[in-house]
Amino acid sequence: MALALAACGAAEAPPKPLTEAQSAALTPADLRLAALYERSCKACHTVTDAQAPLTGDRTQWDPRWAKGEDVLLASAIGGINGMPAGGQCFECSPADLKALIRFMAGRGQ
Amino acid sequence: MTTRRKILLGSAAAVAAGAAGLGGRVALRNRDPVGPPPIDAEGRALWSNWSGIAHSYPARRAAPADEAELARLLPDTPVPIRPVGAGHSFNAIVPTEGTLLSLDRLSGIVASDDKAMTATVGAGTKLSALGPTLAEIGQEMINLPDIDKQTLGGALATGTHGTGKGVPALHGRVTGMRIVAPDGTVIECNRDQRPEVFDAARVGLGAFGVVSQVTLHNWPLSRVKKVVRVVDTDTLLDQWPALAEQHRNAEFLVLPFTGKSALVTHDVTDEPVLPRGPDVDTDALMELKTLRDLFEFTPALRRRFAAHFLDGAPPEIAVDEGWKLLANARPVRFKEMEYHLPIEQQVAALREIIARIEREAKDVFFPIEARIVAPDDAWLSPFNGRESGSIAVHAYYKEANDWMFDLVEPVLREASGRPHWGKLHSLAAPDLKALYPMFAEAMAVRRSLDPQGRLLNPFLSRLFADG
Repeated sequence: MALALAACGAAEAPPKPLTEAQSAALTPADLRLAALYERSCKACHTVTDAQAPLTGDRTQWDPRWAKGEDVLLASAIGGINGMPAGGQCFECSPADLKALIRFMAGRGQ
Repeated sequence: MTTRRKILLGSAAAVAAGAAGLGGRVALRNRDPVGPPPIDAEGRALWSNWSGIAHSYPARRAAPADEAELARLLPDTPVPIRPVGAGHSFNAIVPTEGTLLSLDRLSGIVASDDKAMTATVGAGTKLSALGPTLAEIGQEMINLPDIDKQTLGGALATGTHGTGKGVPALHGRVTGMRIVAPDGTVIECNRDQRPEVFDAARVGLGAFGVVSQVTLHNWPLSRVKKVVRVVDTDTLLDQWPALAEQHRNAEFLVLPFTGKSALVTHDVTDEPVLPRGPDVDTDALMELKTLRDLFEFTPALRRRFAAHFLDGAPPEIAVDEGWKLLANARPVRFKEMEYHLPIEQQVAALREIIARIEREAKDVFFPIEARIVAPDDAWLSPFNGRESGSIAVHAYYKEANDWMFDLVEPVLREASGRPHWGKLHSLAAPDLKALYPMFAEAMAVRRSLDPQGRLLNPFLSRLFADG
């Protein structure tokens, strides 16, 4: 329904912050990606204290997303602020990391 | 309290920045270090450790789904083969141009025994996940490191520890392991079965084989009370041996250039749950950095301002299951050197290190951490045969850390300290032979399991070359 509305040109509602619990409840639909997310990203990206943007929280992700996917990918591979290089996913390919970023940024997969 | 501190520091910052052009210096120092390119000329993605010091471009990244796949992979994959946990080691124990081996898929509890209070766990299990998983079966690890991002396998391999009088490091509660040797042979070892492998590889630096499973002897799940209080460093150092006796887990963090320390204790309690609040350690750390930025060259003023925001600070108290309180998220990246000293040497060495830093390294602002660890009998355990007092120094990941080697390490070595296997140090095989009574025996086991040195990268070769 949301997609249909967007396609009709309806204005997108402004994003709202998520709670830790709301963020933790989100999981990628793709099973392999979900496993990577569970093992590598979730521990930090659903906990406020970790100071990583919460999964699915567009209020935190939208300014980052505006930098462009390639910039976010380079940050994920090289590490940024408290996040280690590769974002704890040492088995992830660059394509995996890109898909994980898209999911966490609330852009589907 | 935080508001008062921010007003104080904000006012001081405005004055100092205007008077001394401080803003430029701070901005310069706050720049992120320029890292290596994310993808190299051959299209290989970067691997780097958490602190950003060590990196490489592995030819292959492997994450076997189970032990059988791991055993098939090891004999025929580019070398050196380096198992990686969470990348939280500060030295070059992991970098490889060969195979970077993640055990992330070997995680979770494989078996448990309520009566014996044991749990067999996949080596790739993250400590942050292990706490709640063990709690579900009524068990817990009484000892956890300061950070819970590490994998169990990585933590054991490097002698990772927590703190507490009579409480051993994590490997001190291991009763058995399964190791896959580089030729693909699976070895089950414990005190009765292949005891030489058990003793040599319990703290194995990922150099004896790849540990796939570990059996832990745990404690019944309990509730603890965590108290963090600010105290005078001089008084604390006088009282430390008694304080360590009084609490199940005790440690302290000396806040350099302030005369103060944060004493952290955990004790079993029946008090009602009082969940830990939001992380305030990060704010406190950044305030210490601001103090350093403002008053680096005027230590007396730095001490006075520190007193303004530290004196009278109420203790932080939380009551909950231990796995929720013992470890921390620690979002601020840093570099670290830690040595383990005979316990009777700890306080004197610490006094000397504080004096040297406050005299000669005025840009240091990270706390100096002191912990206590019980002895064990693993051959390469830094706690082998002796109760130990640990001393750790830290530097912000954006800043230089030469002072650790120039000022601090000589004191730690003079006190017969053994370096943490996952942290910064300058030792090599001859030094280690002198520090570990069973070093030669451990190296003989290592050679028998990996005669071609398929698990050795240049850093490990330095440690074991003459072993």
